[in-house]
Amino acid sequence: MKSKYYLAWATDDEIRKRGANGGFVTATLVSALETGFIDLAVVIEKKSVYEGIPILTSDPEVVKDSSGSLHGVPLNLAKYVLESAPDKRIGLPVKPCDARGIIELAKRQQINLNNVYLIGLNCGGTLHPLQMRAMAAECFGLDPDSVLREEITDGKLFLVHEAEGTEKEAGMKIDELERQGRGRRDACKACDTKIPVMADLACGNWGVPQGEQKTFVEVLTEKGAAILDNALSNGAIEIENASEQGIELRKKIEASMQKLAARWNAELDVLKDLSPSERFAFYKAELQRCIHCGACKAVCPVCACEADAKCLEQHDETDSYAISMYNLLRLLHLMDSCIHCGRCEDVCPVDIPLTLIQRRFSERMQRHLDYTPGMEVTQTPPLNETKLRWRAEGE
Amino acid sequence: MRTLTSICPGCSIGCGLYLLESEGGERRHGLKVAHRTVAPMNEGKLCKFGMQLPAYYDKEALHNSVDGKEVNHEEAIEAARERLSSMNPEEIAFIALPGTITNEELVSFTSLASEFGCENLSFGFERFFRDIPEEAFYVLEHGLPFSDVEAASKIILFFVDPFVHYPLLARRILKAKRNGARIIEVSFTKNERGLADETIVVAPHEFESLREKKELFEDSLIIGELTPYTNPHLVSLMLWLQASTSSRLFLLKPFLNVTGALLISGGGKGAEKRKDLFEIFDRIDRGKIKALYLLETDPVSVLLGGEEVKKTLSKLDVLIEQNVFRTPLSEIATITLGSEPFYKKKGTIVNIEGRVLDLGGESANGLAILERMGKGRSYEDVHEEVKKRLGLGSSEPSEFEIAVTRTERKFGVAFLVEFIDSFLSLLKMGNDEERGEEGYSLWYKTNPFFWAGVRDKQFVEISPAAMRTLGLFSGDEIELVQGDLKERLGFKISDVPDDLIVSEDKLAIQPSDGHWAELHRRELLTSVALRRAKRSSTAEE
Ligand code: SF4
Ligand code: SF4
Ligand code: SF4
Ligand code: SF4
Repeated sequence: MKSKYYLAWATDDEIRKRGANGGFVTATLVSALETGFIDLAVVIEKKSVYEGIPILTSDPEVVKDSSGSLHGVPLNLAKYVLESAPDKRIGLPVKPCDARGIIELAKRQQINLNNVYLIGLNCGGTLHPLQMRAMAAECFGLDPDSVLREEITDGKLFLVHEAEGTEKEAGMKIDELERQGRGRRDACKACDTKIPVMADLACGNWGVPQGEQKTFVEVLTEKGAAILDNALSNGAIEIENASEQGIELRKKIEASMQKLAARWNAELDVLKDLSPSERFAFYKAELQRCIHCGACKAVCPVCACEADAKCLEQHDETDSYAISMYNLLRLLHLMDSCIHCGRCEDVCPVDIPLTLIQRRFSERMQRHLDYTPGMEVTQTPPLNETKLRWRAEGE
Repeated sequence: MRTLTSICPGCSIGCGLYLLESEGGERRHGLKVAHRTVAPMNEGKLCKFGMQLPAYYDKEALHNSVDGKEVNHEEAIEAARERLSSMNPEEIAFIALPGTITNEELVSFTSLASEFGCENLSFGFERFFRDIPEEAFYVLEHGLPFSDVEAASKIILFFVDPFVHYPLLARRILKAKRNGARIIEVSFTKNERGLADETIVVAPHEFESLREKKELFEDSLIIGELTPYTNPHLVSLMLWLQASTSSRLFLLKPFLNVTGALLISGGGKGAEKRKDLFEIFDRIDRGKIKALYLLETDPVSVLLGGEEVKKTLSKLDVLIEQNVFRTPLSEIATITLGSEPFYKKKGTIVNIEGRVLDLGGESANGLAILERMGKGRSYEDVHEEVKKRLGLGSSEPSEFEIAVTRTERKFGVAFLVEFIDSFLSLLKMGNDEERGEEGYSLWYKTNPFFWAGVRDKQFVEISPAAMRTLGLFSGDEIELVQGDLKERLGFKISDVPDDLIVSEDKLAIQPSDGHWAELHRRELLTSVALRRAKRSSTAEE
C-alpha cells in the first residue's frame, strides 16, 4: 500500500448494511479474528440505543452483532483492555479518548501496546443515555423505547424510530439541542481531539462523497497497515484511494469541530473570570462533597496505581479538611496526564464537576511542559517520568 | 470476561451496575464493578459501598448442613420441613430483613409461614405500624420518585446526612437546590458540606423544641429514615410534622427490598397480623418460640448488641438459616441451606422510588428451596403472584417506569400527639438517668456498610470539648464502655454536641437491660462512657 488515505468498505452485504459507513471497521475486526491475526476483540455489545456493554470476545459473530454507532454509550474502553492476558493480541474500535487512555496505560506498563490494534473512530462526542432518552421524549416527541437507531451526521442527531409499523427518521441540530442545555457531555463539547491520529487507523465518514456507504481510512502505523492488509487479502474489504477533495474536506470538518470545541471550552470554564479567592471558594464548595467512593480513580484511564495508590494512602478520613488530600493528590498526579475524557465526572456520585476542575489544573501545565498525554507512546508524562523509569527498570 | 447487569443490594436505592466476571486464565480474577450509565435510579453513579461490591460478594459460602454435618441440598430441605412440621405453629417464627431477598422469594416465604400456620413472621418494620393511624400507613409503605425530590421547593433533612446515609440522594437534593429549592437540615450539628441553606441545631434530648418550630416545616418535603431501631415515637413526630404542616414525608429505608416486602405482605394492614422483630426476640428469650427460620438475614450484623442476639438465638431448639454466606449465626444454626448470591438471582425487587426492578440473574435456587418445602410452584407462577400483589396486573414494567406509586391521604394528628409526648418525657428522663458515668450518648449515622456488618470507618466523631476533657491527643485511641463491653477505636474531632458521640460503624454496644421488647421503646440515643484508651505499653500517659 502506498497511499495513506483510502475509502474502504466491507464486501459482505450483511456487514455493510449493519455497520456504519459501509461496515469497514466490523469487517476488518471480523477478518482479523477469523484469520487468527488477533486473538480477541473488545467490542460494545448493544443492548439498546441507550446501552452497550463492553465485552472481550474471540467470536466473529459477536463482533458482527456489535456493529453500528452508539453515541449514547459514554464509555472509555482503556481499562477493559486490561482484562485480557498481556500476551493476547487484541483489536478494538476506539474513540480518540479510548486510544489516548490505552497509550497512557501502556506508558505505565499496564498494556503491551505491540499486541493491541487500535482502530480509531473519528469522534464528535457522546451523549448521556438518560439525557438521550429525555431528548427523544421531550425534543423529538418520541417514545424513547421506540427508537431503533441513532446517528450523528452533518451536525444533526437522527433518531430512527418505529411508527405505525414502519421506520421513520427524525433529526435535530445538535447545536440547537445544546443551546437548550441538552446534547453531548460537557467533556465531549470541549474535546478537541476529533480524529484519532494516535491510533493505528483513523476511520470515519468525513471526506466520503455524499451518499456513498464507505469509510474514510487513514493509515497511521505499520500495525494499522498490517490489519488493513489482513482484511484486504482475506477478501473482507475493498478499498480505493481517497480523493484530494475528500482529504481536504475531512481536514476542514476537523478544523471546524475543533473551533467549536475551543468555544465550548471557554464557555464551560465558569472559573475563568473569578478572582483567586472566589475560585478557591468554588473548589472548596465542590470538592468538600467528596465521599471518597474511589469511582473517579477506578474509571480514570490514566490512573494505574492500585491499592497502594498515594492518593489513597495520604487520605485519612479522620482529618477534618474541607478538601481532602485524596482530591488534591489526584489533581496533582494527573496534571500532566489527564486526557479530559470526562469519565470521572460521569461516575461521581455527588456531581463534582471533575472534568472542569481537572482541565483548569492540567491544561496550562500540559502546555507549559509541552506535553499532550496519550498521543505518543515514547513520550512519558514529565511529572511521572522518574517513577515510570524506575518501574520499567524493575526498581 | 462476562458482563452481568446487576443491582447493588446496599440500600433501598438499588443502583444499577455491571459486574465483570473474569474467567480463568485472564489477568484478573473474580468480580469487578463497572458503572451502568443508563440505570435511571442512579444514572450511572455508585457510592463507596457499590464500588466495593466485589469484597461484599467475596465471603465464605454457606453450605447445606444438618446438626453441623454437611449434607446434600435435598436432605437439608427435607430436614428443615420435618423439624418445622414437628412444632406447634406458635412455636415457630420466620424472619426476613429484605436486603438481598427478591419479591418472589418473599411471596414464597410468606406462604410457607402460613402453611405452617405461623403468625410469627417479621420483615423488621412491623412495629412502626402499630402506633400510627391507618391512613398514614402509605407513608411508611412507599417512598417517592427521585424526580419529586428534584422538583421540591423546600426540603427538610430530618436527622439525615445524605452524604453518609444515602449518597446517591445527595445529588438529587443538590439538583433541587440548583432548581431553587430551599434546603433546611434539622440535625445535632451543622453539616459542613454546604448542602443546606440553613441548619436547625437540636441538642440531644431536646426534640420537643421541634414541635414549636412547626412553621418551618410548612409545605416541605421532609426526608427522614426508618431503620429497625428508629424509635417509633420519632416516626410519629415526623408524621405529626407532615400532617400538621401539609408537607410530604419521604422515609428512607436501609434494606433494598423493604418496599417490596411491605407491599407484598399487605403493607401496614398486613403488619398488624405479623410480629414485631423485637417481640419475636423477646418470645425466644422467654422460651415461647422454639424454632426460627432466617431467610438471608443476619440479625447479629444488623441489630445492636450482636452478642446478645447470639445468646438469645442459642436458646432455640431449631434454627434454620437460608443464606448465601456464612454468618456469625451459622455455627449455632441447626440447619443451613446454601442459596445463590444476589447478583445471580432471577427475580424482582421494588426500590424506594417504587421502581420494580428485574435483577438480571438466572438462578432461582433460593426460591426453589422455599417452594420445595411449601407449595412447589414454578418461578413463573410465583412471579405472576408478585405482579398481582404489587397491583401490576399482568404487565411487566420496565425499569424506566415508577410502577408502584404512592397516593397522598389526609390523616389526623391528635392521636400522634399523645404518643409523641410520652416519647419526649422519656427522652427527658433519659437525659438524667440513663446516660453513662461520663455522660455521653451515642448516635449512629447509618450507611450501607453499617447494615452489611462491614466495618468501614473505625472511628467515632467527638467534640473538641470531649477531646480536652479526656486529655486526648491526635493519634490517641479511645474506649467506649457500656457495662462489661468495651470498644477501642480512633476518633475524629467534629462540630458535634459536647455530650454526643457520632459513629458510622455499629459498635459492640448492648441494649442496657437486654430486654428486646423494651429496646425499641427507649433507645434513641445509647448511653455509654467514653474513656481515653489505656496504652498497652508501660509508656502509659
Ligand atoms: S472525550 Fe472526545 S474522544 Fe472522547 S468521546 Fe468525547 S469527544 Fe469523543
Ligand atoms: S481525570 Fe477524569 S477526565 Fe482526566 S483522564 Fe481521568 S477520568 Fe478522564
Ligand atoms: S468520584 Fe467524586 S465522590 Fe467519588 S472519590 Fe471521586 S470525587 Fe470523590
Ligand atoms: S449502597 Fe445504595 S447508594 Fe450505594 S451503590 Fe448501593 S444501592 Fe447505590
